[in-house]
Amino acid sequence: MSVGTPVDPGLSSGAAKRGSKAPGARRGRAHSVVADGQPMIWLSGGALAIGLIMIIGLLGLVLFQGLSTFWPRSVVELTTARGETFMGQVAEFDLYEPQEYEFANLPGALADVAHAEANTRGGEVSRWQLRTGNYEDTDTHFDWISQLSILPAGAESDERTALADFESAVTFPEWAVVVERIEKGRFYGIPAAFLEGDQVLATDPAEIWGLFEQHHDEVRDLFAEKREVEKEGIGAVNRRIERARLEAKSVELERGVESPETAAAWQRYESELLVMEGEIAELTEERQRIEDLGTRYQVRFDTAYGTPRTLVLWDIVRAFPANRIGFADKLGIYLSRWNEFLRGDPREANSEGGVFPAIFGTVIMTLIMSIAVVPFGVLAALYLREYAKPGPLVSTVRIAVNNLAGVPSIVFGVFGLGFFCYIFGASIDQLFFAERLPNPTYGTGGILWASLTLALLTLPVVIVATEEAVAAVPGSMREGSYACGATKWQTISRIVLPRALPGIMTGMILAIARGAGEVAPLMLVGAVKLAPELPLDGVFPYVHPERSFMHLGFHIFDLGFQSQNSEAAKPMVFTTTLLLIGIVVMLNVVAIWIRSHLRRKFVSGHI
Amino acid sequence: MSQIRTDVKHSAYTAGGAGVMSSRVQREGVFEAIKRGDAFATETHPAIQREEIVLGIDKFKLWYGTAQALWDVSMKIPRGKVTSLIGPSGCGKSTLLRCVNRMNDLIDSVRVDGEMTLNGDPIYGAEVDVIELRKRIGMVFQKPNPFPMSIFENVVYPLRIDGERNRGVLEEVCERSLRGAGLWEEAKDRLDQSALAMSGGQQQRLCIARAIAAEPEVLLLDEPCSALDPIATGRIEELIDELKGSYSILIVTHNMQQASRTSDFTAFMYLGRLVEYGPTEQIFLQPRLKETEDYVTGRFG
Repeated sequence: MSVGTPVDPGLSSGAAKRGSKAPGARRGRAHSVVADGQPMIWLSGGALAIGLIMIIGLLGLVLFQGLSTFWPRSVVELTTARGETFMGQVAEFDLYEPQEYEFANLPGALADVAHAEANTRGGEVSRWQLRTGNYEDTDTHFDWISQLSILPAGAESDERTALADFESAVTFPEWAVVVERIEKGRFYGIPAAFLEGDQVLATDPAEIWGLFEQHHDEVRDLFAEKREVEKEGIGAVNRRIERARLEAKSVELERGVESPETAAAWQRYESELLVMEGEIAELTEERQRIEDLGTRYQVRFDTAYGTPRTLVLWDIVRAFPANRIGFADKLGIYLSRWNEFLRGDPREANSEGGVFPAIFGTVIMTLIMSIAVVPFGVLAALYLREYAKPGPLVSTVRIAVNNLAGVPSIVFGVFGLGFFCYIFGASIDQLFFAERLPNPTYGTGGILWASLTLALLTLPVVIVATEEAVAAVPGSMREGSYACGATKWQTISRIVLPRALPGIMTGMILAIARGAGEVAPLMLVGAVKLAPELPLDGVFPYVHPERSFMHLGFHIFDLGFQSQNSEAAKPMVFTTTLLLIGIVVMLNVVAIWIRSHLRRKFVSGHI
Repeated sequence: MSQIRTDVKHSAYTAGGAGVMSSRVQREGVFEAIKRGDAFATETHPAIQREEIVLGIDKFKLWYGTAQALWDVSMKIPRGKVTSLIGPSGCGKSTLLRCVNRMNDLIDSVRVDGEMTLNGDPIYGAEVDVIELRKRIGMVFQKPNPFPMSIFENVVYPLRIDGERNRGVLEEVCERSLRGAGLWEEAKDRLDQSALAMSGGQQQRLCIARAIAAEPEVLLLDEPCSALDPIATGRIEELIDELKGSYSILIVTHNMQQASRTSDFTAFMYLGRLVEYGPTEQIFLQPRLKETEDYVTGRFG
């Protein structure tokens, strides 16, 4: 663009025509590049682009990793130069720089060849991470296999003259079966025999597999039945015992230890206990019967590690011959894993199984938080904006509220623990649950306290959004209402609030997004690693706001950094993240839908 | 607060020419006297005295902070007639109008002095319930301000805030008010729809319907057509004609033709004073003051 050519500020960069001269262009006064605004267009566009790339990259990573975790992969088998055989699924591939001794261990001339080959790639060679499972034999769930150590498939001894690549080294055993167990993680093996008790029913893999599919559902049903007996039967009796004990205890607290009523109460308890212990013995017998029935069937597997292993059929959650099944079966397994993930309880220190308690806890906590924070924040904002006389005090309060948003969330957690749990909750325990002491009921972390803590945390967001929405209500509407003889409160409740509702919803959406993703304060006020008992269930009084709960955000932290088997948990981190993002998006979409509906009704005027 | 300076030299001007019908009163330099802040007596035509009075304003003064906006305004608004307030921008017409239903109470810095009475009841005073007072007065604003609710709820809003729940009563009032505002035929099939979806002219007529729903004793119109196109303005003016008789209307307008077309009486204000007040025909055709004539004929300057 020639100097001295003014550019219409409304035109985009592409419209800045080279050499065009507007009529009346003032010659002689050079427009600087800065004044034209070209650098600003690039700067602002670049800023947006960088932001977009980061967001899309993050979401893409989470989406890819999260969605691919559950896809069943083939089982490979390979042998190393040291004669070790590995069987498992490939988890990861990367390049690494081997230590010098790894080259030195190679036979003869191969060391030099390998060195030279590595040097062409910057000194790096490939390695693969195999999920080898079979924890009882390997003492690990994963193994790294270096390119230096693998032999081509079929090689009898180490007669390499060049490094083997992975593709030439692995075989895909036809009947290699992936077994997902209730305990001890994955198992890989080739079925050798199907047993009922001590009796061998089949030894041919195809026949074994037929029998497995025939009996697996049946024993899994028995397993579920056993769970039922434990949870509904024995659990219920235990609860009754506890209730009877609490009754006696409260008589004791009321009448004193020495009184005859107390003695009678304890005596009654003892006699009830006797009956109920009898019931438990019966139920335990019943459980044993189911267990005997369920553990009849076993499968013996040949493994890559020499010793055959026998697995009881009812300990197997899912098993499939990964190299035999087609796309449709794989899809079925994929979906069944997602189903277990979304609806099941966690297993194996959370690294396997489902996250339903965490989903439930997250959603319920977010809902309680919204119910607590929205009315509270709206009322506070209304007072600040409508009733309080503007002045230094109100300005100070407003600044303080805004700064509250900058307080580290862990501080809110500490406050919640100190105030809600230890002061408020402990007082409730003293007053209403004295018979349970010293075990705390409300005096410890729980979903109610966690929700209220997050409500405090997100309060500034709601207050600020509501204040802005209320201030944006046209003065002419208020005047119209006053002119009709409405009082201030009538004007606020009938005109200002409905009109400000979409803005208030915006505040709520922001609060939900912030609250649902928050983890740090929850660790102090009630989120735990494992809480199979949900805050809502079929046991009287059905709602248990005092219970600790599982939370997806905390679950991610726990999987990623607190897990014993962190390699196995890693893919679950992505899947759980994907799920948490999905839930936040869903909550937001619902809120946005409600907001747009309200906006149509109260602001734009088209119903 | 500075009170009105009384300058002996100009006190002769204050001897009004009451009784001298339709003849030019020789009062030179009225605007100059007002600008100087001299005491000033309104030229009130005697025709007003024969009317029955609904709203009385007596020596009314108003200050925004320390700036005085109304100076000793005294006028009597006749019942069942249309009275228009005209004058250049900033002359206090709207301020005076908003004093009638005490909308100026909403502004913290406003202070008033003087008397106003609505059908004999005082408007200002410690014992007056301003909420009850506003229910006796309807008001329509410059820009249409329908509430964010359905047409039906807009119209019956004054009854709703009074706690009226009876659906029959509400429906009857809604129909009567919408018919009164000439909006029934257009709105009767969409009473449940949002009022915000109507056109500007319809919205303003809706505001009129809302203002007359509670059968007010006085209807205040604050430049009701300034945000409307000529056709919608014509409809509103027709409506004002129809409402005349059943309602006492006080209208502020910038539009001289509108004042002459719609009103029975006209008051000309200048810099917070009521300059001349009389039957519209006389104000426009035979004003007593040269300044009034200059203004209504557009030679103001």
